[in-house]
Amino acid sequence: MTDEELLRSFSQTLGDLLGTTDLELTLETLRSEVPGWDSFNYINFIVAIEIGHNVKFKVADVESFRNVGQIVSELQAMLA
Amino acid sequence: MLFNSYEFIFIFLPLVLFGFQLARRLGYNAAIVFLIFVSLIFYAWWRPINLLIIVPSIFVNYILAKTLLRYAEYEGKARVRNFLLTIGIISNLLFLGYFKYLTFFQGTSNDLFGTDFVLTYIILPLGISFITFQKIAFLVDVHGGGIKAFKFREFALFVLFFPQLIAGPIVHFREMVPQYRQLGIRIDRNMLALGISLFCIGLFKKAVLADGIAIHVTPVFDAAAAGQVITLTYAWIAAIGFTLQIYFDFAGYSDMAAGLALAIGLRLPVNFDSPLKSCNIIDFWARWHITLTRFLTAYVYNPIALYGTRRRLGKGLGGFNPNNPKFTAFLTLLAAPTFLTMLLSGLWHGAGYTFIVWGALHGAYLCINHGWRLIAPKRFSSRETYEKWMRPVGFVITFLSVTFAMVWFRAESVGSALELSKAMAGTNGIGIPEKIVGMIGLENMSFIIPEAVSLLEFFTTVAWVIALLVVALLLPNGFQFLAAYEPVLGYKLKDNPSSRVAAKLSWQPSLPWFLIISVLLISAVLRVGGQSEFLYWQF
Repeated sequence: MTDEELLRSFSQTLGDLLGTTDLELTLETLRSEVPGWDSFNYINFIVAIEIGHNVKFKVADVESFRNVGQIVSELQAMLA
Repeated sequence: MLFNSYEFIFIFLPLVLFGFQLARRLGYNAAIVFLIFVSLIFYAWWRPINLLIIVPSIFVNYILAKTLLRYAEYEGKARVRNFLLTIGIISNLLFLGYFKYLTFFQGTSNDLFGTDFVLTYIILPLGISFITFQKIAFLVDVHGGGIKAFKFREFALFVLFFPQLIAGPIVHFREMVPQYRQLGIRIDRNMLALGISLFCIGLFKKAVLADGIAIHVTPVFDAAAAGQVITLTYAWIAAIGFTLQIYFDFAGYSDMAAGLALAIGLRLPVNFDSPLKSCNIIDFWARWHITLTRFLTAYVYNPIALYGTRRRLGKGLGGFNPNNPKFTAFLTLLAAPTFLTMLLSGLWHGAGYTFIVWGALHGAYLCINHGWRLIAPKRFSSRETYEKWMRPVGFVITFLSVTFAMVWFRAESVGSALELSKAMAGTNGIGIPEKIVGMIGLENMSFIIPEAVSLLEFFTTVAWVIALLVVALLLPNGFQFLAAYEPVLGYKLKDNPSSRVAAKLSWQPSLPWFLIISVLLISAVLRVGGQSEFLYWQF
């Protein structure tokens, strides 16, 4: 999958969790920039990605992602 | 050494800034060693013997981290790395536990199980809770591969850096060490001016505002501890007054810490961002002691919630669907980890039952807030309508909830916290200065209690509370005024009224700002004198 495809799927997943339809994540998006994306929804989001792509993030990685781009690149590395 | 002491402001700080500029010219290593040296002096000032506690702990963690790094080179050594990390975390927690919790656990055991432990009174080394958390975060980062290489002096400075040594912010290695490596050999005059300005703003908040209202708050809590009857009026004055006292105390400390780091040429992470303006308790915890929230979320909440969510899914029970929330999923995946995290936060703040109740209250608040957010917005016609109604209502509820919990944070014992809580509910009547009672003729009303205070004294107290509420709730904070220069890592103005005001009055190296900062500094220095410790230094 390309980064753009992952971003579209991430936006869809997070939009479903937050109950919004007009969410458009970019590689630079920070969690603090998305209203309602708190630690609880973050865990839900991470697990939703894990299920969707049949992968498992390391706990230390989950904490260390600074922006959406880092999640994308870690996922790309796991899918490679 | 206190930031708000003459020896710090007039001797230590000027010598450090001057000496650091000289050390920078000698190169990177000299600058780092100089900062370690002055940080050790800063730490030893209060009790030199504490160096015998902190220095060996730095060596132990350094050796553990280096061993972890060595095993990172070998494939298939994950078990050894996990073992080393476990040893590191346990030894750090035992280290903290011995100094902070031994007496508490001995007393609790004697109370609950009738054991006969002789209580061991240990003087708590300053900042041990912050230092311990920082070292644990470091070991986890090394274990996770986030830190590939480091030198002893970098690690030592990361632990000891005096602006954040005693009461945070709790920083990550990856935030600070790359900045150390980029320190130039020349002083950045803008950053120096910016840092000193922020330090003065913080000093004013601490010495004038926090210490000023403390004079009106402390006697009420002392009276409650002595078993005196407190009326509704004074219970609320004490509760709101203490909330404002700790607010300006911690805001002041955070500004001073960030300002000192800036003056040296480094940016700390944001730790405090006008939390009393929050419209819900989730937002409050994203703005109050931000780096502690970050630590607890990363190392307590996330692992529990991740484990729980994966386990439920593994059992085929389904994850948490916000569009169709199930109560058991809410309870196990959200409420339990949240409540446990806040309970630990309470215990981290202090070894006492009152702190545990404070943590439990905030855990309950957060669970209610999360539950509400899942149910309530759907009952409104649109998200905008929901926000329009809930922002003011949420603000009032959040402020009252935080204020009520602060009584438990401040009270000497569970008994006096309970008495104050009852008084806030009005069980002891409404206190009014006796002069007013006589003037209006309220003597026959049983719920009116004449207070033996002068009108001047009473209205001065009320004026302090109102004035500080205005400053905390309506004015921009120090970071907002300085936002154009990124006073703390990644700080940006949000789109709200106080940010717009701050943007118009943005800090500049100009004469008007020089005069403003000078007034703040002079009025603060005139109030510095007695030993007024920061409330967060006891943690």
